[in-house]
Amino acid sequence: MHIDRRERNYVIFTIILITVFAGLVMVSGFAYGIQVPEPFMEVDPNTVATPPSPWGAPVDERVRELAPNKYEAYILAQTWTFLPNRITVPVGSTVTFYVTSKDVQHGFNVQQTNVNMMVVPGEVSTLTLTFDEPGEYTFVCNEYCGVGHQTMYGTVVVEP
Amino acid sequence: MTTTASQPERSGKRGLAPIWLILFTILFIMAAAIISFVVFQPILVLPRITLAPGFALTDQNGNQISNEDLRGQIVLYNFTYTNCEECAQTDEVMAQVQNRLDEVTAVDIPIKLVTISVDPEHDTPEVLTEYAQSLGANPDQWVFATGSPAMLKSVIGGGFSLFYQQQEDGAFDLDPGFMLIDGNGIMRAEYRTAVPEIDIMLRDIGLLVEEAQNSNGAAKIGYEAAHLFLCYPPR
Repeated sequence: MHIDRRERNYVIFTIILITVFAGLVMVSGFAYGIQVPEPFMEVDPNTVATPPSPWGAPVDERVRELAPNKYEAYILAQTWTFLPNRITVPVGSTVTFYVTSKDVQHGFNVQQTNVNMMVVPGEVSTLTLTFDEPGEYTFVCNEYCGVGHQTMYGTVVVEP
Repeated sequence: MTTTASQPERSGKRGLAPIWLILFTILFIMAAAIISFVVFQPILVLPRITLAPGFALTDQNGNQISNEDLRGQIVLYNFTYTNCEECAQTDEVMAQVQNRLDEVTAVDIPIKLVTISVDPEHDTPEVLTEYAQSLGANPDQWVFATGSPAMLKSVIGGGFSLFYQQQEDGAFDLDPGFMLIDGNGIMRAEYRTAVPEIDIMLRDIGLLVEEAQNSNGAAKIGYEAAHLFLCYPPR
């Protein structure tokens, strides 16, 4: 079988390129610990909003202080609001968001931060963020979820 | 002319083919080995969730106990206070685990149970000793500990991410939870329920024992591969 020299060079170049890219994926995944979102916990969307589920607790008890400057927030996404939609924490706090939906698919994006995740009914999405700068951080639903989609937002107030 | 022109070309082809063949064979064998490892999961491990917190607490005999004392031991934690009716349920689970621990064959790997009380004001060492006896705790295996409120908050809330808070009437709002820590001080399993399946807890303890006993030398590479390819047991 005759392969032209230039064609062969291109084949070799392509194989090298694929190997380098696959290697980079491995390095970023395993050495730098960059992970794609994975199933964290499953819930029943029919009962997720009723006690003893943490998303069934009174709205003002869904943000809990675990230790000084360490919080966990159980946020229920529903058409067309987040509950709670106002979270107040002191500056320097690390907040772990546990977000789930009781109806349709939503999104959860704390703007100007790395927190951006899909909220799928039956699944719990979770990410952790440290708020080092005081101010108001808006979180929005960024998956179109119905006619009231644009009203679906909330605020994290980081107090100095 | 034609024969002499085709001659070097053919010899060049002969030189190339075996190299490609060898390369592709090596790649194929490596890929097949990795895929079969991922599919058949010959070694199961528990995930390395996070580092367990450090602490210095007082046990039921009034002695200091710290996380460093528990290095090299597999430790199952739960959290309680003796005036609590609901948390008695989790202590019952601990008692059942203790009574069934002989099902896990552990040679040279000590397994400890640690119950941490969130109410140091009431749960003095004497109260804890009495409580331990009422549960039939083996004092060599099952430690009851408590400490200063600030230390407890940073260990349980900060380290184990388990919420608790004292109410106005003095009772505690305490989430149930069990944490399994390996000999290196890494959290390997958490059961955030008052009624975990004891069979699964014993299976997990068994997996930790197996890993601690077997992951030496070449087998260590196998265990690291199991971690890399997420060979976790079903939940």
